[in-house]
Amino acid sequence: MATTEEMLEAFAEWRARSNDNSRLTKMVKGWDRVIHFTTTDTAQGYTMVVEDQQLSGLAVGHIGQPDVIVTGSSEDFCDMFWGDLNPSEKYMSGEITLQGSQQDVMRIDAISMVAFLDT
Amino acid sequence: MAQLERECEVVVVGAGYSGLAAARELARAGVDVLVLEARHRAGGRSWTDVTEAGFTIDRGGQWIGPGQDHLEALAAEMGVTTFPTYTTGQGVELRDGRRELYVGLIPTSDPEGAAEGVATMLDLDLAAFEVPTDAPWEAPGAAALDAQTLATWLDGHLTSPAARSILEVAVKAIFGTGSGELSLLFALFYLHAGGGLANLARTTGGAQERRFEGGSQQLALGLAAELGERVVLGAPLVSVAHGPGGVTLGARLVDPDAESADPGAPHRTLSVRARRAIFALAPGLCSRIDFTPALPGRRDQLAQRMPMGAVTKVHALYDRPFWRDDGLNGQIVAPGSVMESAFDNSPADASHGAIVGFVAGDDCRRLEAAGPEARRAAILDELGRAFGPAALEPVEFVEQHWMAEPFTRGGPVAVNVPGTLTTLGAALREPVGPLHWAGTETATQWCGYLDGALSAGRRAADEVVRALKGELVGDD
Repeated sequence: MATTEEMLEAFAEWRARSNDNSRLTKMVKGWDRVIHFTTTDTAQGYTMVVEDQQLSGLAVGHIGQPDVIVTGSSEDFCDMFWGDLNPSEKYMSGEITLQGSQQDVMRIDAISMVAFLDT
Repeated sequence: MAQLERECEVVVVGAGYSGLAAARELARAGVDVLVLEARHRAGGRSWTDVTEAGFTIDRGGQWIGPGQDHLEALAAEMGVTTFPTYTTGQGVELRDGRRELYVGLIPTSDPEGAAEGVATMLDLDLAAFEVPTDAPWEAPGAAALDAQTLATWLDGHLTSPAARSILEVAVKAIFGTGSGELSLLFALFYLHAGGGLANLARTTGGAQERRFEGGSQQLALGLAAELGERVVLGAPLVSVAHGPGGVTLGARLVDPDAESADPGAPHRTLSVRARRAIFALAPGLCSRIDFTPALPGRRDQLAQRMPMGAVTKVHALYDRPFWRDDGLNGQIVAPGSVMESAFDNSPADASHGAIVGFVAGDDCRRLEAAGPEARRAAILDELGRAFGPAALEPVEFVEQHWMAEPFTRGGPVAVNVPGTLTTLGAALREPVGPLHWAGTETATQWCGYLDGALSAGRRAADEVVRALKGELVGDD
């Protein structure tokens, strides 16, 4: 179980790597979205915004109307943000779920995989 | 040679999922319908069989995934349950004599190449979603997209040879052809119709997510049982005479005990007179039927330009799924090998082990001449490299070579070569007088899949019901 501080620290690292990666910034071109994270173990909400090809910081709480809702354990989110976990594995096992339009889900799925593989 | 004669309002040609779905809709609308099926079984490209050693296998289409609502509803109605494809553990990538393990959608032995592959899949899928599935020829830049192959596009977007080969494996498994044989516009349409390449390549969350307990053909057999004597098996269609007054179909009646359907052997014939006909067949199969008058050039030329893919579906059957002991999920991705993709196909209760694999595209055609023993040796060698020596000695090895099926001629689906969709695509569903077209190739969602076959059959049935009503109004 990860604390809010641990989540924010791990995300900051993920965000810095992602925003520096030209493949990833190209993948979010024109894709401004609000993404909510919900942890199943700590029942905590977080919000990330993608705007102008950049990821925002992670805000605590669910803010605004989400385009995609990502649900999973805080531990898995932290591991994913640190780059220690292939998110594809957790999507396949159903331990991390994505809700949203087909195209938005497709995009965040691909982005998180590239973030794991290429940063 | 005896001739039998029948009359009905609508005749449906083909008792695959599409034809049966069409016939059921018609029967439910009170239409007098008859189904002619060339084989001695219903199901078409879905065929559940019991092997000599007693294993139940699906020789054809077998999976169901999210969004396949027609198939889901039919399974629920028939009381056929589903179970998840086994995905626990790691997959095996075989490449250039090396063996690597991976988790997730794509092999990760070359992370940068894999990242490029994922990003390119997204680009391809985003382009696919721009193509309207009911009229791909109206997509922005359709003519340019239709003038090139998917291979051209992939070659222009990928620098990593590893990523290129992984995507080619996926394309061959999905279409049964290499990307060099596919119109880019057609590929984009097809991907859109199935929710994108990533969706079509996936197990969990995608097109290979679940399987049917007891096999997929049960649904077709259930539909056929409901239609009862309205389904005539062993009646390959030979001729169609059509005109404003209706259609007359001539079929051979083949004795189920006959060793072969030798057209020269004495046989009875069946002549069916109907007001309308639905052809629930892959377009290429219509080219083997003698139409009088000949089909309009656009329709006939379209059929000539929609070849079936080439696929051999292989089952290696074992006492138990021993690879699971090593933390393997049974999936293989093996670019350049004979069998480039494989999955765990064991039953839900794991009472035996099964690996299902696909020899697709030009590999399938090339290896046809090598013969079954050579194919078996090559595939078992590959399974041995993936799962160890135990894989070399299956209890049974079964291959289903779809090109050798005269009433299918390949699989899993008919594809469009470049330049076809924009010039002739509109003829795919356009009725020709009293002749209507079904089959999964005519579907606008899940084209090429069992779900698409069902929706296409229903669409054709609706079309016919409306046409019959129109005729009645006209009669008044």
